[in-house]
Amino acid sequence: MEVQKEAQRIMTLSVWKMYNSRLQRGGLRLHRSLQLSLVMRSAREVYLSAKLEEDEEGRLGPQPCLGEEGAGQPPLQPAAAASPGPPAPEERAAPADRGNAPGAVDPEPMETQDSSGDAPPAAPAPGAGRRPARGVSLPPPAKASRKRRSSSLDKPGAAEAGLVPTKKARLEAEEEEGERQPQGQDGPFPSLAKVLQTRFSGMLRGGPPKGPEPTPGCRPGDGVLSILVRAVVAF
Amino acid sequence: MAGVAGGGGGGGGNDFQWCFSQVKGAIDEDVAEADIISTVEFNYSGDLLATGDKGGRVVIFQREQENKSRPHSRGEYNVYSTFQSHEPEFDYLKSLEIEEKINKIRWLPQQNAAHFLLSTNDKTIKLWKISERDKRAEGYNLKDEDGRLRDPFRITALRVPILKPMDLMVEASPRRIFANAHTYHINSISVNSDHETYLSADDLRINLWHLEITDRSFNIVDIKPANMEELTEVITASEFHPHHCNVFVYSSSKGTIRLCDMRSSALCDRHSKFFEEPEDPSSRSFFSEIISSISDVKFSHSGRYMMTRDYLSVKVWDLNMENRPVETYQVHEYLRSKLCSLYENDCIFDKFECCWNGSDSAIMTGSYNNFFRMFDRNTRRDITLEASRESSKPRAILKPRKVCTGGKRKKDEISVDSLDFNKKILHTAWHPTENIIAVAATNNLYIFQDKIN
Repeated sequence: MEVQKEAQRIMTLSVWKMYNSRLQRGGLRLHRSLQLSLVMRSAREVYLSAKLEEDEEGRLGPQPCLGEEGAGQPPLQPAAAASPGPPAPEERAAPADRGNAPGAVDPEPMETQDSSGDAPPAAPAPGAGRRPARGVSLPPPAKASRKRRSSSLDKPGAAEAGLVPTKKARLEAEEEEGERQPQGQDGPFPSLAKVLQTRFSGMLRGGPPKGPEPTPGCRPGDGVLSILVRAVVAF
Repeated sequence: MAGVAGGGGGGGGNDFQWCFSQVKGAIDEDVAEADIISTVEFNYSGDLLATGDKGGRVVIFQREQENKSRPHSRGEYNVYSTFQSHEPEFDYLKSLEIEEKINKIRWLPQQNAAHFLLSTNDKTIKLWKISERDKRAEGYNLKDEDGRLRDPFRITALRVPILKPMDLMVEASPRRIFANAHTYHINSISVNSDHETYLSADDLRINLWHLEITDRSFNIVDIKPANMEELTEVITASEFHPHHCNVFVYSSSKGTIRLCDMRSSALCDRHSKFFEEPEDPSSRSFFSEIISSISDVKFSHSGRYMMTRDYLSVKVWDLNMENRPVETYQVHEYLRSKLCSLYENDCIFDKFECCWNGSDSAIMTGSYNNFFRMFDRNTRRDITLEASRESSKPRAILKPRKVCTGGKRKKDEISVDSLDFNKKILHTAWHPTENIIAVAATNNLYIFQDKIN
């Protein structure tokens, strides 16, 4: 639970940073945006795997407590005399997922439905983002999200594995509104801007999340997750 | 002199010690953002030291001739020229402001009495000529001394203008402006050893320029994917080989370095060598990917090695061995457990630079709390020093600093949690032949030199 909270906090923080980076002088920095999206993706994977384990535990009954699910690392302020926290357990929990996908391209083209028309119509879902959020009983997300689009779609279990998108109409409609903005208008990442502005306006007005507790303005994790998947894909 | 290794231990004996020499910049606690130094570079002889700041200004310091009456103190660096290199601009098409911050300065080798340097912001590179004028012509026929035209009917005789000495004036004039070639933000420029061409690198592309031609450049590296959603890495730094004019390297945000040979093809998308160290799975963490991003790459003067800086370490690579570096130095390993906090306060995105000494026997890089680190490659000793006003007495010996990583803190040690992460040393430079270093600490430039016994 702590791991989940920490991962969610980091995801929210990353989105806030990404939004803020558009406002700074000099405009959006590609390298910074890429790094933020990488952190967001890592946080998402940690969050999902933690959530999945929690769901399974809830289904199967109490399990022996695993070391990886210990308390999250307490955040330290710069130059503050806080006591050093224990080594981040989410860092230990993460290797199970992250070790499988170092730098692997996670092909999640959210903008495949735009007017360019050069992307396959059946856009594969951000599989990891979709499956657990829908509460479907499925194999662990990390392995599936690592696979390239072409190979995963060909496999027989692709549909069950959630690699084929199960679209949510509300989200898609709003996404497509954002995607139809002219490319050159907002710089390299127009869709992301729209997504962030429409979905995170409440959170962004509140400023960055501080401390281990998410701010009250945060949406529930699932909602954040699907947006973040879009945001990550934008890069 | 050039054979003296850098950064010996603080003890006596044959180790040498670093002393404070000078500090430039205001002492105010309130630092104006425009005054923050963003790049530092010695010229080829070491007589000139250039700094660029976030306000787009370039300040050049010149080393005074050594004073025979004070043999123990080497020549000081005094302001030689100050000029506004870049101004803020606005990209109307994208509705984006283009910062005037000077990202890099690179000197050209001196070929005549004038000095030339390249300075760049995010989008435009400029070639500046810095020249001295110490004479002026007097006795013109058609105009007065103050420049007003003389009435031609009053001119009754002709005279030959003569040159008279005047107070030294240093003029900086932009000779070339290389613009409109980069869509993304320029992070590096590097002058080729042929002294005719140079490269400029942004996040996704590297362009080759001729110093005389401003209206076109050749694109030699392009890593932009057809679909930007598939972008996984960006170019973070690039440099030409010091001797082979066909060879250059570029580093990436994934911690890899590619060496390219321009003889192999016009577009060097395919590398000749690929340097990458396999990741240690035990040190894998949430932020592993972003701390592996290389922030600087520098060839050794010999051209046999190159050095890379990532967030926590400096690595020395032998160009003949691609699968791992030959040396790895931990700069501030105690920060590994604090990465989450460093992400929150944005420090994890800081881009530290690194530099070699003249003989390639030592390397230097910066850290937080105004600390900077030096590593002696031969003795494998390292030292941490601090650039602070407190230890800024003339010829005061710098005391080595130590960060306490846990357990009982000894006297004079500083604990990790007490480090000031707002005081960061990102830019350092080492004199090409002597043990003189320039360290930029926010808006101050510190100059240290070794103690002459």
